[in-house]
Formats: sequence, C-alpha cells, structure tokens
Amino acid sequence: MAAPPLAIVVWLFFVPFLSSAHLSFLRDGQWSLQNYALVWRLYRIDVLYTLGISLVSLALVIGIAALVCGYLRIVGHRPVEFLFKVPLFVPFVVVGHGMRVLLAPRGTLNSALAQVGVVDLSDPPSIAFTWIGIVISLVWKNLALAVLLVLGAYRAVDEALLEAARNMGASTFRQIRDILLPMSAPSLVVASAFMFTSMLASFSIPLMIGGGEPPHMLMVDVYYRINYQDDLGTANALGMVSYLFAMGAAGYYLRTITVSRSS
Amino acid sequence: MTTSVGPRADVFVRTTLRMAGAVLVAFVIFAPLSSLVIWSFTRRWSWPHPFPQELGLFYWRKVLEGDLLRALESGFLIAVIVTAATLVLTVPLAYLLARYPVPGKAVILLVFLLPHAFPQLPVFVNATTLLYRVNLAASLSGVVLIHMVGALVYAVWTMTAVFRSIPESLEEAAWNLGASRLKTFRTVALPLATPGLIASTLLVFLYSLDEFTGTLLVGSPFVLTLPVYMYRTSVGYELQVASIAALILMLPGLALLVVLERYLKSEYLSMFGRL
Amino acid sequence: MDVRVEGLVKRYGRVAALDGVSMAFASGALTAILGPSGCGKTTLLRSLAGFVMVDRGRILFGAEEVTAVSPQARGTAMVFQHYALWPHMTVFDNVAYGLRLRKVPDAELRSRVEKVLDLVEIGRVTGVGERRPAELSGGQQQRVALARALVVEPRVLLLDEPLSNLDAKVRQRLRAEVRRLQKAVGITAVYVTHDQEEALAIADAVVLMNAGRVVQAGSPQEIYSHPTTAFAADFLGVSNQLAGVAEADRLSVGAQRLPYGGPVRGRATLIFRAADASVSAGEGGASPGHALLRGVLEERLFLGSVYRHYVRVEGETLMVDGAEPVEPGPVTVQVPVAKLQVYAA
Repeated sequence: MAAPPLAIVVWLFFVPFLSSAHLSFLRDGQWSLQNYALVWRLYRIDVLYTLGISLVSLALVIGIAALVCGYLRIVGHRPVEFLFKVPLFVPFVVVGHGMRVLLAPRGTLNSALAQVGVVDLSDPPSIAFTWIGIVISLVWKNLALAVLLVLGAYRAVDEALLEAARNMGASTFRQIRDILLPMSAPSLVVASAFMFTSMLASFSIPLMIGGGEPPHMLMVDVYYRINYQDDLGTANALGMVSYLFAMGAAGYYLRTITVSRSS
Repeated sequence: MTTSVGPRADVFVRTTLRMAGAVLVAFVIFAPLSSLVIWSFTRRWSWPHPFPQELGLFYWRKVLEGDLLRALESGFLIAVIVTAATLVLTVPLAYLLARYPVPGKAVILLVFLLPHAFPQLPVFVNATTLLYRVNLAASLSGVVLIHMVGALVYAVWTMTAVFRSIPESLEEAAWNLGASRLKTFRTVALPLATPGLIASTLLVFLYSLDEFTGTLLVGSPFVLTLPVYMYRTSVGYELQVASIAALILMLPGLALLVVLERYLKSEYLSMFGRL
Repeated sequence: MDVRVEGLVKRYGRVAALDGVSMAFASGALTAILGPSGCGKTTLLRSLAGFVMVDRGRILFGAEEVTAVSPQARGTAMVFQHYALWPHMTVFDNVAYGLRLRKVPDAELRSRVEKVLDLVEIGRVTGVGERRPAELSGGQQQRVALARALVVEPRVLLLDEPLSNLDAKVRQRLRAEVRRLQKAVGITAVYVTHDQEEALAIADAVVLMNAGRVVQAGSPQEIYSHPTTAFAADFLGVSNQLAGVAEADRLSVGAQRLPYGGPVRGRATLIFRAADASVSAGEGGASPGHALLRGVLEERLFLGSVYRHYVRVEGETLMVDGAEPVEPGPVTVQVPVAKLQVYAA
C-alpha cells in the first residue's frame, strides 16, 4: 500500500540524490577529483555569492517580520495582515518575471521615479540583474511565509505577559524586543533554517533576474553547466556542495529542536 | 497637570502613520504585480516614454492564438492528472499511517519531505537521466511523475493529520453495527475527512500548476506548461506575452487565497509558502 | 495618592461592563472591590491600569486626569491573577525590568531589587534571584509578582484576584502578607476579589459591585453588619430570608407578628444571620430587644464549632447556629432587633 508513492520519491529523488555523490567523482568515466577542483577554481566566488545573498535576504526577512509582526500582534492592523499573505500565492516564476519588469533599468519603478525626477532614464541605475534584484525578489516572496510563522509564534504568547510589560512602562518596541522575540526564538530559528535552505536552492528567480554576467547563484551554475557544457560531473559536484549547506541548516534546526525539547 | 490636547494630537499622528504604513505595504506588495498588469495591457511601450504608448488587448488576442493556449491546456491537464494520481495513491497510505502502528512511520513521513529539504535542481538533473533511460523524458508522463515527487508530501502529511483527528470511536461504532472496513472507510472516514481532502487537492493542484524546475528539465523540449512558457517569453523579451502568462498563472493562486481566508484554517496556509 | 473615578461607562456591544461608576479610593488605604463574576470589578481595575479605555467618565490620580493616558505612562503597577512573570527571565530580571526601563543606574537597581525581595520575604530563598519563575511554587511566584510591582514605587497598586490561583492554606497566609506589605509601604491599593471573606479580612474599605454598578461602599464592618440591599445581604452570606409585610408598627410574617419601627411599608424581605439568632425549645416569650418567631425544628447538623439547626417557620426553612444542641420539635427563634434587616421587596 505504501509502496507506490514511496517508490516514486525513492526512484526520482532519493536515488538521483545519491547518484550525485557518485557522479561528482566521475570524470570521463574515471574516478577523479577533477570536478571538485573545477568547482573550487571556477565557482568558489559563486558559492560565497550564494551564501551572501541568502544570508542578507534571510536577515532582512526575519528582521522585517519580527518588527512588523510585533506591531500586528500588539496593535493590530487587519488590512496589512491580509496584504502580507498575497505573495504566498504568487509562484516563484511569476515573482521572477514581475521583478524583471519592475526593477529593470527602464522598468516601471524607474519610469515612475523618473517622473519625480529621482532617476534619469538615459542612464538609469540597474537593480535588476544584480544581487540587489535577487535579494529584493527573495525577500518579497519569503516575507509572506515569515510573517505567517512569526505572527503565529507571537500570538502564542499570553497577553497578560505583554500587559505586565506595558504596565511597567514598556513601549511597543520594547515589548517586541524583551518579551515576544525571546519567547518565540525557537520558532524563529526553525523558520530561518527552512527559509535559508530554500533561498540557497532558489533557481527560477536568479535565472530570471540574475543577469548574464557571473557571479551566479549556485543552482543557475548547475543548470548552465548541464545545459551548455553537458558536464554532469562538475554539475553534480556543485550539487553536492549545495546539499552540504542544506544539511548544515537542517542540522542546526534539529539541534535547536532537541535543545529546546530537553530544557 | 496634563492637558487633554496632547493625547488627541498623539492619536492623530498615530493614525496618520498607520495609514501611511498600510499604503507603503500595499505599494510594496502590489508594485511587481501591478507592473505585470500594466504590461499585459500594453501594445507598445519603449523608452523614454514613462507610460505605455498604446494600451489594448492586442497581445491578449495574439496570445490566445499561439503557444500560450497550448501551455495552458497542457499544464492544466498535467495538474489534474497529478492531483488525481496523488490522491488515489496517498489517501489509503495516509489512512494506514493514521490508524495502524506502521513500522518506521516517522521515516516514511520524512522521506516525502526530502524533496523540499534539499535543492531540487541537481537531483532533478540526475532524475532526468533516469527518466531518459526508460523513455519517459520529454513526455507528459515523465512530467507528471516529477511533479508527484514534490506534490506527495502535501497530500500525505495533510491527510495523515486529518485522519488522525477523526475519533476512532466513530469508525468502531460502524464496525459494531456490521459495516465492513472498506464500507466504513467509504461512508465514515472519507466524508469526515472532506475538508482535508479539499485542502490537499488545492495544495497539490496549485503545486503542479506552478512547478517550474522539474518541468524545465524533464519536459523540454516538447512538454510545455505555463511557468516554462512564461520563463521563455520573459527572457526572450516578449514582455507583454510573458506578463499575460504571469497574470493567468496567478489567478488560481489568488482565488485560493480568498477561499482559504474565508473557509479553511491557516495551518494549511503555511504549506503554501513552499510553492 | 488619592484616586477618584467619575461616571465611568464601558460598553462591549450591548453589554455595559461599567454603567456609571463613581467612587473614591482613599490615599494609603487598601480598597477591596467585591462582587460576583461579570459585575465589572475587573473592568474597573483594568481601566485604572489603562488596559481598558473607558467610553465615558474620568479617572483622576490626585489632581491629574489620566483618563486618556497610555498604560505605560500611568504609573500604576498591577499584580496579575496568574502572576504574569516572564518565563524566559530570571526572578531578578523580572523584578528589575521596570527599573531598567526607567534607566535606574546599576548599583541602585541592584539594591532596590534585593530590598524588595526581602520585603516580600523571598530574599532568603537561596539563589532566588537567578532562578526562573517555573522553578518556584505558586505562592513564591506571587511574592515575586508583588515585588515586581512594588519596586517601581507606583502611584497606585492594582491587584487582580492575586490569590485565587493558590491553595487555600497558601491563600490564608499570603492574605495577611499582602496587607502587611501594603501598610508597610503605605501605598494606595485597589484589590479585586470575588471572595467576601478575603475582602473583609484585608480591606480598609469595601466596594460591592453588581452588573456594572456600585451597590454599596463602606468599611468592612459596616458592609458586613448593615448590607443596604437584598443583593448585598445575599452576597455577604446572610443566610436567612423571610417574606413579610411591613406596617407602621409591626411586621407580619405569615400569621406571626414582630415589632417594627423602620420606614419600609408594604411587602418586605427580612434577613438575619444564622449566627445572630438563637433557638430554644418550647413556647416561651420574647426577651427584651428581641424579635421572636415560632417554628418547628426539623433537623440539626454538627459542624464542629457549632450546631446548625434547621427550623421551619411560616413555610421557610431558617438556619440558626448555636453552641448547644436543641432537640427537634416546636421551638422559638429569637433575633436581636438590631440584627434584623428589613428591605422593601
């Protein structure tokens, strides 16, 4: 009974996942470390680039969510709460294209700003096709999920605890910083680990908004390596690197869960 | 002694800031989406014009005669097949996991989560090779299979939780009165699990409709879905066409947002962030 | 600090939680607000704290009107029913929080926290400052909550049924503690409770509320011995009620006549406490200054400290407590006229 669905996942995910390990050590049919050497030579900047973008995006998402949700929890603002749910239902590919037309050198944003005289359309600044465009897109899309999760965690905090702080003189910001955040820390870590992995592994967004010049995000590199160089070995070596980071994040998440369970 | 004018001015400032904040959020949320809307109804727009020079439904007509319709049909068909297959396969499994002490239950549930815990692209690259060997690459069935890899978790986890929440005593009452297990499942468990079934159907359907990575790798070059079509036209600078495709792609999702907001619980909501 | 509220109104939909409440809380006194669930006492307390903003009326702390002031700026300190100690902070940090917000320098902060922990008599518990609230008993947690409230030297101390979450024994002990602390610090305190015994035991003044209104206010002795309405009498545990008719010089209860000199005319309710009455066998006459009722003693229970006699009088069953047991049969029940309350029915 369990066999068919499990079989699909095992055959088309688990097996290919394992074969990444195998293939990354193969070059021209021979066992070799060449692929990893190539990764180091050609792609180490990209690795840092990907990590950097993911960390910056994560910091922004968590930072904004922590504050916005604090306001939504303590003061409340139903329309804004609803607005933040919208990006949940916009697929990653649509986000990619939408940001393209918005942030392009002569996109709608710059056109609008040109009306106000902030931007000169003959030499417009280019946000799209740079890391900034990618960060904006990742933040835009992930903020919805972050707000959902953080607000849920905040709502689990007893109102009396916030009232006691207010009674002592705590402003909204202090209530967020001293009460809501510390008490929601485990949930935030879980959300962060998950979002970090997803940002690291993002493909459609950097593909559409990343621009043609290196550096690229890792998934784009894997795609190009397969599509244009037909180099399965190096592509899988890159894949292995990305798996390692994903496992690192997962390990951190598991450690937090077990620590908070035992305390 | 304090006056009462202070608080009133304070309230005014706070209300204004609140409204300004809401407007800012609305702007940020809708900026990319409204750009899509503008481009969908543009006939011609080149710089240095700040606004489209010509608006119109020109591209809508053009698009409906072209590949977009094919992509739409194809994607829709795949989504329907994926949803049906997923539900048929996972509902019995979910019932088993919910009701019986299956060995390695936690491991089984986690296996379904794997495709969302690790980067999909490199794995799907290798999966494409595997599918190629059995002649399923670049075929509809191959795409259906690759969609199911990621979609199964939504159905399995949701339906297991739903079945677990139905009190066993309700089924025991039916057995007690003489109903067979199958009949009980059909007439007691399944109807009670309907909200979960609806949620799973919607989650899986939307996942398949929006899936990009697997479709790009496995489906190329013959199988076209809307996300892939949108991607190709976007990087090909057919901005109007891509925007129209994007708008169409967003509609099921936004309709779902409204449905969920009104009818279903927000725990299902958090699964959406992973689409 | 004198606290006054004038004409407070607070509505939730159609329900008026506060329906025109005016009262004064004397400076340095502990005022108990007593009443059944839903009477508005908690709403009143929370509006003093600023957690609830009233629809109409004024709240004054001394000469300052604070009706529209935010809870952060009011200078009150509340002790919550479920303590509301922050679980992720140590006892020390919990108590010090208010002082830290006021930017009190470290040395002074430390000494003030230690002093107040001693004041609530928890400073002696070893290493209490570094413990988390979850490691303490209920009674200890409430002491910490008190400490947290007192350390900031608030203008008004607000207590929201602070002891109802504790065991009976702990409650008795802490009751006296709370009173001692309030007197030692000399702070104006407002104490909400539904337990009349608690209110009478610790308060300087008692305010009885029902359905969003003040029913009666006065000293505990006054409220206890002279409840001015049937509701008040009932709430304060006056156990015996009889229906009667009041005239200029007498009170008719069924076929019996009692002397009467009060102002009520027409249908009336008589009440008196079981402990104020006495019962004796036979058919004797009334002692001077007493009202007499004849009835039949049906049942007698031994309660340990007294015998409780159940006497049937004119169709009603009355309770009379006495140290000596009386045998079932025809009896007379006597109540000192001063302890007999009569209200218009």
